[in-house]
Amino acid sequence: MSTSTSAAVKREARLDTAVAEPTNVLIVGVGGQGVITVSKILAQLCLQNKLKVKQSEIHGMAKRGGAVFSHVRFGSEVYSPTIPLGQADILLALEWAEGLRWLSYLNPDSGTFISDTQMIIPPFSCRDRERGATSNYVHRTLDQVKQHVPNAFAVDATGMATELGNPRTANTVLLGMLSTALDFTVEDWQAIIAQSVPPKTLQVNQKAFVLGREWIQSDKHIAAREHVEEATPPAAPMVDNVVVDLEITEAWCKGCDICVKMCPERCLVLNSNEIVELTDPDACTGCRLCEWLCPDFAIAVHVQKIETTVAEHR
Amino acid sequence: MTETSMHAFEIRDYLRKELMPHFMCPGCGHGIALRALLWALYELDIDKNNLAIVSGIGCSGRVGAYIDANTMHVNHGRPLAYATGLKLARPDLEVIVITGDGDCLAIGGNHLIHACRRNLNLTCIMLNNEIYGMTGGQVSPTTTVDRFTTTTPFGNHEPGFDSCKLAAAAGAGLVGREITLQVPALKNLIKEGITHPGFAFLEVISDCTEIYGRKNELGESPEMMLSQKASTRSDVYGNSVDQPFRPNAFETGVLTRNDRPEYADAYKQHMGRIMAASN
Ligand SMILES: Cc1ncc(C[n+]2csc(CCOP(=O)(O)OP(=O)(O)O)c2C)c(N)n1
Ligand code: SF4
Ligand code: SF4
Ligand code: SF4
Ligand SMILES: [Mg+2]
Repeated sequence: MSTSTSAAVKREARLDTAVAEPTNVLIVGVGGQGVITVSKILAQLCLQNKLKVKQSEIHGMAKRGGAVFSHVRFGSEVYSPTIPLGQADILLALEWAEGLRWLSYLNPDSGTFISDTQMIIPPFSCRDRERGATSNYVHRTLDQVKQHVPNAFAVDATGMATELGNPRTANTVLLGMLSTALDFTVEDWQAIIAQSVPPKTLQVNQKAFVLGREWIQSDKHIAAREHVEEATPPAAPMVDNVVVDLEITEAWCKGCDICVKMCPERCLVLNSNEIVELTDPDACTGCRLCEWLCPDFAIAVHVQKIETTVAEHR
Repeated sequence: MTETSMHAFEIRDYLRKELMPHFMCPGCGHGIALRALLWALYELDIDKNNLAIVSGIGCSGRVGAYIDANTMHVNHGRPLAYATGLKLARPDLEVIVITGDGDCLAIGGNHLIHACRRNLNLTCIMLNNEIYGMTGGQVSPTTTVDRFTTTTPFGNHEPGFDSCKLAAAAGAGLVGREITLQVPALKNLIKEGITHPGFAFLEVISDCTEIYGRKNELGESPEMMLSQKASTRSDVYGNSVDQPFRPNAFETGVLTRNDRPEYADAYKQHMGRIMAASN
């Protein structure tokens, strides 16, 4: 079996010359937050420090507010541009749900999770058609995350940046936090930031960087002070609970099937007399599509809106 | 816990209930267009006593008969001519014309271009189902090429009108188009048309399931409506979506608008000058 032997030899040879594993930083968020800017700054910094670096990114496909992620890998040698599952050393999230989405990429033994608590609820993907449904935006809290992640920090970076006078520097606040987990000097960081941001925003970006860095170093997160409290995503928003009453005028229905086929919840049928019937009242959301599209005005949807909290709703 | 009730529009308030159910075939798009019109009237808070609906001949023309307001059902192709006379005599009335592709573009084509040219404050809603529905399915000026009708048993070979381009070129103050599937958008377009101070021409892409759909195997109403949606570009997205992939898709929403002088105003001013000169 000479072939398998030579393969084994090759593998061993490779292990012999194996270089130190690269450092893996995964930066995630949604379109417009500055994920790419952060990763470019980090990549430039690595290059200036004579490290090999590979960065690969996907921006939200043709959708404003879509998911954006960027893999940055650096070290004495980097082969693949993408971070394998479970091997990110740092997961930096500019948006809470995006952070949670990528948790499986974090190294379960040594990974560090740093996330803004800002919640950007996607207009389409979180729409739940169930009657009175809440947005199905992720409900996990920082404490729940901490049970699985060795080092987890959640911070209202956007709030901090807003206090500084420019909410768009939230990514620089997070960069400050990220800097504490890497071995580059503060001077190098500040220099690269100066090269990367528009001159007009230099000052505020520098302040934002310092603020983020100090926040982690000052143990504020451990002392559970203000920002940590805010870090738990707010619960129990008010939701619209609705009571729907479908009034069907049988004498006007001509059994054209429009409402049956167009109802998004498939809760209408034609009965044996070819007249419309509501078979699943619980599924009906009161969307009115059947009422609007019935050419014979045989359906009237009466909707009563009742505001309840999520807790009441459940 | 607070309770609010929404949506006070009750279509029955605008219908001649004693005539219901209406005569149209199951699934006919004209009924949906009627809802959108009545909804627009409700939202604009138009007094029914102050409203005159003038309609021609055809299934589209019959739609007017179900509206609980002042209605005139006039001869084929002529609703715009009657409406012009009515509006000049009674400028206080809100005058709305309901017509069909045959009524408006074939026998009534000349009335349309001159109504556009004059720019009198009327709203003309043309229900385009690409066929003479009422008379059993003859070819119309908007029938798609290769489609079958009773008068084109081997398929239609005549190119059709783009009625919106026609109306815009003839000078209509506002021109728009919408499909029946987009009911709230259609309602909003009709509101735009009614509130526009000059002549508004609105093409509603409707469907004649019973005759045109069946003859051409276009499916039932839901299928026909969905394929209309696929052949138009949505106004909601600024008509821009899919532009590179479907260059020939029809645009929807308000397509053109101009502020040429409104005919009655211009007429009044013109007469004022003559009277002043002769005194
Ligand atoms: C002067 C005159 N010519 C012909 C007719 C026959 N006729 C009745 S409706 C119609 C066509 C209607 O087509 P359209 O306007 O598209 O209305 P639809 O039924 O399709 O809604 C015709 C030709 C008539 N009633 N009067
Ligand atoms: S309102 Fe009508 S279309 Fe909407 S879910 Fe209920 S039955 Fe279906
Ligand atoms: S759309 Fe109207 S007429 Fe058609 S089946 Fe439904 S209720 Fe009946
Ligand atoms: S013949 Fe066609 S246009 Fe006329 S009512 Fe029937 S479906 Fe509608
Ligand atoms: Mg027609």
